[in-house]
Amino acid sequence: MQNIEMLRWQLNSLVTQVRQDIYTLSTVPQQPIAPQILQRLWDTTSTIHFISELLANQALHCYQPIPVNSRMIPVNNSPSNSTQISPITPIPNQSNSQLNGRNFTIGELATFDGKNGRPAYVAVNSTVYDVTNNRAWAAATHFGLLAGKEYSQEFATCHAGQQSILATLPVVGRLVS
Amino acid sequence: MTMPILPPEDLSNKAISARITTNAIKSIKNGLIKKKNLVYLELNGCSGNIISLLNGQNPDFEYTFKSMVDIQYSNSLMVAEGEKAIEKLMKALEGEYILAVEGAVALKNNGLYNIIGSWKGKPLTGLEAVKMLGEKASHILAVGACATHGGVSAAKPNPSESVGLNKVLPHKKIIMLPGCPVHPDWFLGTLAHLLLYGEPETDSLNRPLMFYSTLIHDRCPRRPFFDRGIFAEKLSDKTCLFKLGCRGPVTRTDCPTRQWNGHVNWPIGDDTPCIGCAQFGFPDAMAPFISFDTTRVVKNE
Ligand code: HEM
Ligand code: SF4
Repeated sequence: MQNIEMLRWQLNSLVTQVRQDIYTLSTVPQQPIAPQILQRLWDTTSTIHFISELLANQALHCYQPIPVNSRMIPVNNSPSNSTQISPITPIPNQSNSQLNGRNFTIGELATFDGKNGRPAYVAVNSTVYDVTNNRAWAAATHFGLLAGKEYSQEFATCHAGQQSILATLPVVGRLVS
Repeated sequence: MTMPILPPEDLSNKAISARITTNAIKSIKNGLIKKKNLVYLELNGCSGNIISLLNGQNPDFEYTFKSMVDIQYSNSLMVAEGEKAIEKLMKALEGEYILAVEGAVALKNNGLYNIIGSWKGKPLTGLEAVKMLGEKASHILAVGACATHGGVSAAKPNPSESVGLNKVLPHKKIIMLPGCPVHPDWFLGTLAHLLLYGEPETDSLNRPLMFYSTLIHDRCPRRPFFDRGIFAEKLSDKTCLFKLGCRGPVTRTDCPTRQWNGHVNWPIGDDTPCIGCAQFGFPDAMAPFISFDTTRVVKNE
């Protein structure tokens, strides 16, 4: 119940924030700051939406607590399952330091196919990338390509001149023969 | 005089297209804009787009075809049949007209896999018809997935060798209205814009920006769940459908705000992932439509 009080307080302060932003926008419509305010409005409404969904879900399920503000939901952290690598949540700049140096054979890469709770990896030019939670790789598939494979050729033909795509993907290791 | 729009001006796509269509209707009434001729060709497809148009509102389908344009030819709607119908199609060639095409162009055996009628005792192929009419049209609208890029008709193994309109009319500007089917507003709104203001602003793939500018994912009500990594495991879940194979993150349409069937709901609103029907390459490039084996952890699989 304390939890719900807190969410309610959070909702109210978010609504106040939205009102304030709308007021600011209406008084200074052509200011260069408008895009930032709009962005904040967008984010705030998203959070309001999220919390209200959370509250509704809790009400529906008789207050089964769902972790609030959890930036990362560990999928599998039980020790019995320690060989599993938790999927990476879509938070940028996450460090993969332990994995960065890992070498994959093509056979090992094939097991990271995004199925059965496993992460989804693909290799381009011998670098192995994590696409588990990349928006364009829903269900570990992308324009007919399946995760767990080597796609240097496909990347070159489909994304010529778009090296920036690779630069934003988390690197998990290298492909060795 | 037009009604002043009081601030804050409603900038939703729905409001904008409603303003465009009411203005168009008014201007026609006042004789400011002329009815144009429309030729609606159905080639290799399922007639799904013309059926989808029957769901149109503001303006509805009947009003559009009776009062906004002079419909010269539509094999699903016209009374004439056989050579009489094709005669009307040939007559349309003499005047100015807007050409709307749904369905893909079948190339195999010189177009013989798609015959749309007969003329002077000889079969008229979709390929011949679209080349002939496309060359002389004032504007060309490719309506639906098949006409824009081959769509379902061109899905593997593509026995009829179907392609999108742009492959047979490479030098013409074609307004692309992808979708399987097209949303009635996307077609009727684009047509209204053509009549009232000329060609609408389009993106690099010739899709009108007023309908196709924004990723579904960027306006999806479930986006907060995506950002927090909370994913649905089955169809009835109310969270982000990404792990089930949602194609909202690669598809640009206004479905989240416009919605379907008289603006009442849309796939994600009904707990089923977007299948990317308005993305080029649909359906093959958007497959599989649903996957349950990504989140479910099964021991000894
Ligand atoms: C069959 C070949 C491919 C095709 C047709 C294709 C197509 C596309 C398209 C159309 C988009 C843009 C979606 C949008 O924002 O509207 C995209 C984005 C993306 N593609 Fe591909 N792609 C191919 C191969 C690959 C490969 C091999 C990779 C491997 C890393 C890859 C990684 C990505 C990523 C990460 C994005 C998201 C980029 C961003 O966040 O802006 N693609 N792809
Ligand atoms: S349901 Fe689909 S469109 Fe909506 S946030 Fe999730 S992935 Fe994006």
